[in-house]
Amino acid sequence: MASHGLVYDGCNSFRQRLVLSTLSGKRVKIKGIRSRDDDPGLRDFEASFIRLMDKVTNGSRIEINQTGTVLFYQPGLLCGGSVEHDCNTQRSIGYYLEALLMLAPFMKAPLKATLRGVTNDPLDPTVDLLKTTALPLMKKFGVDGERFDLKVRMGLGMAPGGGGEVVFSCPVRGTIRPVQLTEPGKIKRIRGVAYSVRVSPQMANRLVESARSVLNQFLPDIYIHTDHMKGANSGKSPGFGLILVAETVDGFSLGAEMSSTPQGQGEPMLPEDLGRNCAKLLLEEVYRGGCVDSSNQSLALLLMTLGQQDVSKVLLGPLSPYTIKFLRHIRDFFQIMFKMEVQKPSEDDRIGGDKVLMTCVGVGYTNINKTLK
Amino acid sequence: ARDSENCSEEHEEDSDGEEEEEDNVADVATTKFILQCPFTGALKWKEDLQQKATEAFLRQQEAVPNLRKLVYGSDDSENEDEELGGLFRVSRLQTSNKFEANALDCSHFKPDISHCWDSEEMLNSIRDCFVTGKWDDNQ
Repeated sequence: MASHGLVYDGCNSFRQRLVLSTLSGKRVKIKGIRSRDDDPGLRDFEASFIRLMDKVTNGSRIEINQTGTVLFYQPGLLCGGSVEHDCNTQRSIGYYLEALLMLAPFMKAPLKATLRGVTNDPLDPTVDLLKTTALPLMKKFGVDGERFDLKVRMGLGMAPGGGGEVVFSCPVRGTIRPVQLTEPGKIKRIRGVAYSVRVSPQMANRLVESARSVLNQFLPDIYIHTDHMKGANSGKSPGFGLILVAETVDGFSLGAEMSSTPQGQGEPMLPEDLGRNCAKLLLEEVYRGGCVDSSNQSLALLLMTLGQQDVSKVLLGPLSPYTIKFLRHIRDFFQIMFKMEVQKPSEDDRIGGDKVLMTCVGVGYTNINKTLK
Repeated sequence: ARDSENCSEEHEEDSDGEEEEEDNVADVATTKFILQCPFTGALKWKEDLQQKATEAFLRQQEAVPNLRKLVYGSDDSENEDEELGGLFRVSRLQTSNKFEANALDCSHFKPDISHCWDSEEMLNSIRDCFVTGKWDDNQ
């Protein structure tokens, strides 16, 4: 037990375990990875993720058994710098980026990661959504600067073919600022992007029309940008999708997105249906409410945990299953337990469902990798 | 059956006062004994039933949103070396855990399908989240 650090069963929360292990310096052993499956062991995308972790760290030790059902990971130091990675196309770049966002502020040198692969698929957050929701959230914690950027360089790459390229650059921070994010404020505008790749440009317009028909009941200030890709910078597969972000007066953003089913996988979708469903997904996100949307809850909680030794408070919507797993892992790796208070809105307030106020005292994490100047 | 008869008689007699016939006095004494005897306790639990139920209900209501317990669980459940009868060991603790062990690693929170965003009632429930909604006085 002691020599292996923390031991887990199965490959759920795979990224959380490796990321928290790297940040806390605790070794981790994951066994029984799909051991009863017809095709046992790690998948290609997980192997690709491990290779990415190896690239951003220095001195990591990774041992995988022959069948790939047991993984032992001893984290090294986060070195950062320029990293290039071809992400496996089974998962989109968002899968890899979510982990990089958590690690990037604690590197030795500012990270400049070039990731190639699928930029948009229905499963993971797309690059555009992370850019509009995760980056502003990190700015609240003091991770900011000129070089803090996430952009699609070579056009979009839809699933399953991929062929997109994304550049993520992030400055390093010595410490993380504790925050008090308890008032989300009212939503003042809705912005969005409707993209169509290797299909008729009319698709994007149909998406915008249908989404507006739902959202215009609440706000007049809605602007959805249409983005049509063709030719060389449109990746290898066709598809379309919609990203919607609601911005509040206090500078918080809640995002929702939907993407067409990849070519050759399941039922095709009408752009009208997709647009309306995506708008309803955004309303659902508004109903849940809080200062952070459901897909970024774990990022906010991690930055709270790693903050200076002071009280941090963040108001969230209902905790997602992924977040609950993340909270358990934070307890395992950092011995931090959050205080959770349910806030029920009163009867005549029309502000959606129950909210949760998360409170914790940071562990006072300092970036030991960062060189002093 | 005789006991319940006695009970009803006793209530009448209490309201009527102490001037009773001699032969009834013995019966009254036995019922009083049953009611007050600390050893039988046969009817003691019936006292304040409604109040107890209300208290239990309120206690449970408070316990429902105990998120801390939901998220972190109780420490008793982590007792893994439990032996049955000093001989057998529980080899598979929870089948549901096994099922979840290799679940998909994805941060999306699937929406609750019970919310119908076509209904006016649902739309009204979030009106004040927008700047077009009602504002507090201090905002």
